[in-house]
Amino acid sequence: MQCASRGSGQRICPLPKFFVGLIVFAAIFAGCSKHRNDESSPGLAIKHEISPDPPRVGSATLTLKLADATDAPITKAHIGLEADMQHPGMVPHSFEVKELNPGRYQAQVQFNMAGDWVILLHVTLPDGNTLDRQFDVRGVRPK
Amino acid sequence: MKWRYVRPLLQAPLLIIGVVMIFHGLFGPNISPKNLATTLSWVHFRGALVLVLLCAGNLFCLACPFMLARQAARKIFRPRWDWPRALRNKWLSGGLFVLVLFCYELFDLWASPWWTAWLIIFYFLGVLVVDGFFKHASFCKFVCPIGQFNFVASTFSPLEVKVRDQDVCTGCETKDCIRGRREPVSDLVTIRGCELALFQPRKVGNMDCTFCMDCVHACPHDNVGILSRLPGGELLTDPLRSGIGYFSKRKDLAALVLIFTFGAFLNAFGMVSPVYAVENWLGRLLHVSHELPALGIIFTTFLIVEPLLLLGFASWLTVRIGGSNRALVPLAIRYSYALVPLGFGMWLAHYGFHFLTGLWTFIPVTQSALISIGIPWLGKPLWTLRGVSAPVVQVIEMGFLILGFAGSLVITHGLAEEDAPQRPMRAFLPWASVWLIVWLASMWLMFQPMEMRATVMMSG
Repeated sequence: MQCASRGSGQRICPLPKFFVGLIVFAAIFAGCSKHRNDESSPGLAIKHEISPDPPRVGSATLTLKLADATDAPITKAHIGLEADMQHPGMVPHSFEVKELNPGRYQAQVQFNMAGDWVILLHVTLPDGNTLDRQFDVRGVRPK
Repeated sequence: MKWRYVRPLLQAPLLIIGVVMIFHGLFGPNISPKNLATTLSWVHFRGALVLVLLCAGNLFCLACPFMLARQAARKIFRPRWDWPRALRNKWLSGGLFVLVLFCYELFDLWASPWWTAWLIIFYFLGVLVVDGFFKHASFCKFVCPIGQFNFVASTFSPLEVKVRDQDVCTGCETKDCIRGRREPVSDLVTIRGCELALFQPRKVGNMDCTFCMDCVHACPHDNVGILSRLPGGELLTDPLRSGIGYFSKRKDLAALVLIFTFGAFLNAFGMVSPVYAVENWLGRLLHVSHELPALGIIFTTFLIVEPLLLLGFASWLTVRIGGSNRALVPLAIRYSYALVPLGFGMWLAHYGFHFLTGLWTFIPVTQSALISIGIPWLGKPLWTLRGVSAPVVQVIEMGFLILGFAGSLVITHGLAEEDAPQRPMRAFLPWASVWLIVWLASMWLMFQPMEMRATVMMSG
């Protein structure tokens, strides 16, 4: 960038070049910081069902099915379940998850407000490996 | 406050926090209550802003981090152009205010750390572009939507930057408060005068004042300072104001006040249960599943149809019953300023609710952010930390709404006494009746269960 010097020692730069630089920077920044999605863990499938569907404010049953790469159910996993309202200032809610039968887990989730929720799963597999998964429960209806 | 570096000292921490918010918004968790960008923007910043405006004055503009970036940029280059004459009003900034409110609802900004971070980035870019090309504080006075919010709300603040003794100003020959303090020989400005064209001896109230302290520092007689005053008092009178003119002749300013007031109701309405029903009903009526048209109709109703009907009706009654000689539009403009306390009460109730109920939530979010970059100094996140309980906050909300309603009634009565000195009650009653309707609507809104509108339109 060519900047002219003034008598006072202050450097004056041509504006257009500066702003072209700003726009290029913003474009690069936008490209580098694209929307993040939850990563998938190869070799493990987690399917979820919610009842009622769509859920309403109050209690909902969340069923999770864990399977490995060969579609065999994963048993005796420990799952920590957290539900977050998609609004800042809200406290996360934790719920107990029980294994009903091999590879099939269930939790009673309390949605105390209508709107969009995020479910976070902290899974500890029988071999001690851990992984986190996240999925959205959009549009919980009012009572 | 007299210290020359007080402003940068306040701005620097906010700039650092702003940069941290941008990075956490872009690269941190995309769960709104666990991200600093969303938590600090939509819970803490907004709440602290309205409470400081109520208890002190426009201190956010004083500590504005965007201006620190601008000052740094202006050390490299200098703007050459004057702000276009056609845009020297509040129409553009009022429109941007509406645009921000609209985008907030349409894109669910509260739920998106990523978009919140980009909003902050766009703000920095906007400041640099506008004030990079245009002289003085063009961005603050004619563009900044947050600034306009602060200007309107601060008319109800207890503090004001003003002269201590008018006689000192009368005898002043240099007028440094507006021209800036200059070096005797080179005539170079060493301390800026007011960049918002507010000449202190003729400045009235807080409108357009950013509390930048330039006039305080420039005054060679130490005759300008932050002084206490009657909150809302400036809305009772209509003198010629430096840099503004007459309130009663400023349609753009009156429109800004209406956006401020009815925007407060709109913003709160977007967070309560009945908005579901309205949006779904509109969706069925228009045979659309996208939120945009329904939201457009809701915005048009709240920001255009409702103010026109209410103020038009009150103006008509004032002419018919009160016998006012003014035409309908000037009458509506004049009395619209009395809505500021009502609107401010609604903003206080809404933002105060989020701020107080989520007061301590920044602690676990900060702990979590530090852990994510390998700094566990503050320990494990205390996710159970919240704030004041909702029933207690609801009482405080009611207090804000009552305070706003009372403020609007007092100002309206003052205007009515000036407008119809023979029969002030006849001029007062139509407006008071309309304000009562608006206030009852605000009370109804506050007792609705708060439910975050979903990002998808629902059927059934």
